[in-house]
Amino acid sequence: MRRLLARLATLLRRLSGMPDYAAYLAHCRTAHPDRPVLDERAFFEEYLARRYEGGPTRCC
Amino acid sequence: MHRLAWILVGLLGAAGWGAIALHRGETINAAWLVLAAVGTYLVAYRLYARFIASRVLALDDGRPTPAHRLANGRDFVATTKWVLFGHHFAAIAGAGPLVGPVLAAQFGYLPGTLWIVIGVILGGAVQDFVILAGSMRRDGKSLGQMARDEIGPVTGILAMIAILAIMVILLAVLALVVVRALEDSPWGVFTIACTIPIALVMGFWMKVWRPGRTGEATAFGVALLLVALVAGRHVAESATWGPLFTLDGETIAWAIIGYGFVASVIPVWMLLCPRDYLSTFLKIGTIGALAAGILLTLPTIHLPALTPFIDGTGPVFAGALFPFCFITIACGAISGFHALVASGTTPKMLDRETDARLIGYGGMLMESFVAMMALIAAAALDPGVYFAMNAPLPALGGSIETAITTIRGWGFTLEPGQMEALAASVGESTLLARTGGAPSLAVGMAQIFSGVFGGGLTALWYHFAIMFEALFILTTVDTGTRVGRFMFQELAGQVVKPMGRTSWYPATVVASAAIVAGWGWFLLQGVRDPMGGINALWPLFGISNQLLAAVALSVGTTLIIRRGARRHAWITLLPLAWLLVITTTASWQKVWHTDPRIGFLSRAAQLRDTLGTAGLDVATTERLIRNAQVNATLTALFLLVTWAVVLASARSWTRSETRDARSEDALVAVGRQATA
Repeated sequence: MRRLLARLATLLRRLSGMPDYAAYLAHCRTAHPDRPVLDERAFFEEYLARRYEGGPTRCC
Repeated sequence: MHRLAWILVGLLGAAGWGAIALHRGETINAAWLVLAAVGTYLVAYRLYARFIASRVLALDDGRPTPAHRLANGRDFVATTKWVLFGHHFAAIAGAGPLVGPVLAAQFGYLPGTLWIVIGVILGGAVQDFVILAGSMRRDGKSLGQMARDEIGPVTGILAMIAILAIMVILLAVLALVVVRALEDSPWGVFTIACTIPIALVMGFWMKVWRPGRTGEATAFGVALLLVALVAGRHVAESATWGPLFTLDGETIAWAIIGYGFVASVIPVWMLLCPRDYLSTFLKIGTIGALAAGILLTLPTIHLPALTPFIDGTGPVFAGALFPFCFITIACGAISGFHALVASGTTPKMLDRETDARLIGYGGMLMESFVAMMALIAAAALDPGVYFAMNAPLPALGGSIETAITTIRGWGFTLEPGQMEALAASVGESTLLARTGGAPSLAVGMAQIFSGVFGGGLTALWYHFAIMFEALFILTTVDTGTRVGRFMFQELAGQVVKPMGRTSWYPATVVASAAIVAGWGWFLLQGVRDPMGGINALWPLFGISNQLLAAVALSVGTTLIIRRGARRHAWITLLPLAWLLVITTTASWQKVWHTDPRIGFLSRAAQLRDTLGTAGLDVATTERLIRNAQVNATLTALFLLVTWAVVLASARSWTRSETRDARSEDALVAVGRQATA
């Protein structure tokens, strides 16, 4: 049940373009375990800058 | 067995078209339209999209996508294809496919249906698919970057100017739709006003109180929004609060302009990002509910297949079926704006190359279906009601009594008291001349939802639909202003260096003000227009969006030729040719047509002739003349920029040596080294 809820949460996050901190942590663990990771607050701030300072993410 | 199922799908689609073609009665059931559209989508997806995927683009799962090669756990994240389909659909679907078909219903249901279905399978879906795949093969580059890299630096700048110009018009027209929907509607104004404090609370929640917890904050926000929706009725009925939220068009327009400026200069987490989430979830929920409602109730279409207005005399917007049906419905058939989104976040998330077919082509088919639903919702209205709502007040003669005789003169029926009763049932003071499409769609949706859940909640459904449209239009206004600001800074930075510094606050404020002033000017022009504004501005938006599609298809053709599939370039050249025909004709008519209802210049000339003599005062008339001249200049400018991009691309097609699929990889690799 818990896992099902977690998967649903991931689905909704991806669907709406929300940040996915768990996915980021998983990526860091496997890809470069030696490097330090951002905490959730810093990750969110970086996400905001990336999402809203580029081209359009939404259509008419 | 599998093949049998596809043959069945094809036959069902054919049955739908057959029923539409043979229909000679008063009304037709929406089921036939749904069947024809969905059957055609599935067959096109199965045959045409597969041909493009395997032969033209040569999608290959052996080639790792950017989501794998450049995986960073942030924007480059491999995502399962159905989830990404939802993500992409949520990004491309907006108010466009909901409003255009409602306006085009003045020609009857048939022209819109044919264009939405045929346009998408041969045009819109092809464009989205080719651009998505091209961007995926180039590490997720944007349309502007691809135009610059593949065609040339001048073309890149021209494409950027075109994108910026369409953005300004788009924001103005969409904001005008909101103004027309919220005018004198205290319930609607209250609900929409509440989204601002709700967004602020959400923003502080996910930034300050519980950093990064966007899901919790959004769930809380959606709940508050529904409370605000229900509370809106009591506010509207209250003798003290009601008048406070009853605003005229110009006040609402200024409020939106002020809001747009503030939202684009304060940090994104305060307003922009929370509203983005709110509107996304509301959008997915409402579109799902609308689909369920239409499939459950299968409403009867009351609008005729064709109305007498195909000759260009229609009150909703001026211009004949050709070319204006194809201009009015942009999103839903083909939308150039999608090319920007298809070269944005989605290509960075594709798990496998072949997924691009479902997401690019399939996602656009889904948007086309949304346009079909909007058309059905509008066409299911009583035609008399449809025209009473969508014709500007002067065209209706100025009052409800004259409206009834005018509409009867057009050959439709409208009973005395019918409009008043309808307005009362949805909790509005009047529904006469509520132009812009949103109120008609909201009435249509309210009737469909009431058909499913019983009639007691009609007013609530109407206001839910209005809130949903206004919310995501205003979200487009926020994000669009911000994106426009970055583009403006990038362009201005080429001339005045410090303007390009996005972290320098004065530059930010100046650029934001410039963008807001741009769309604000057109918005006010529309609000003050005696004919309601939609009439003149919606075609301008349609033209600019279609011209952007022409730019995107030129880039797409270049990408196809570059990868050595020159003999298949017709898949993008075909829709490109059609777009050039309709947009050039439409622009030409908007500028030069001798009918002052259509041509901006003859409108200006007509106004000048009546200067001081007609009912309008001199200052107003002079303002209207200036508006018409600016609109004419802008239309001509759009057309020139687009033709310049198309011709520059065409030159690159003749000279560029074709490369095989392997060297496209090499090309990408070189590009990557250059940017690293």
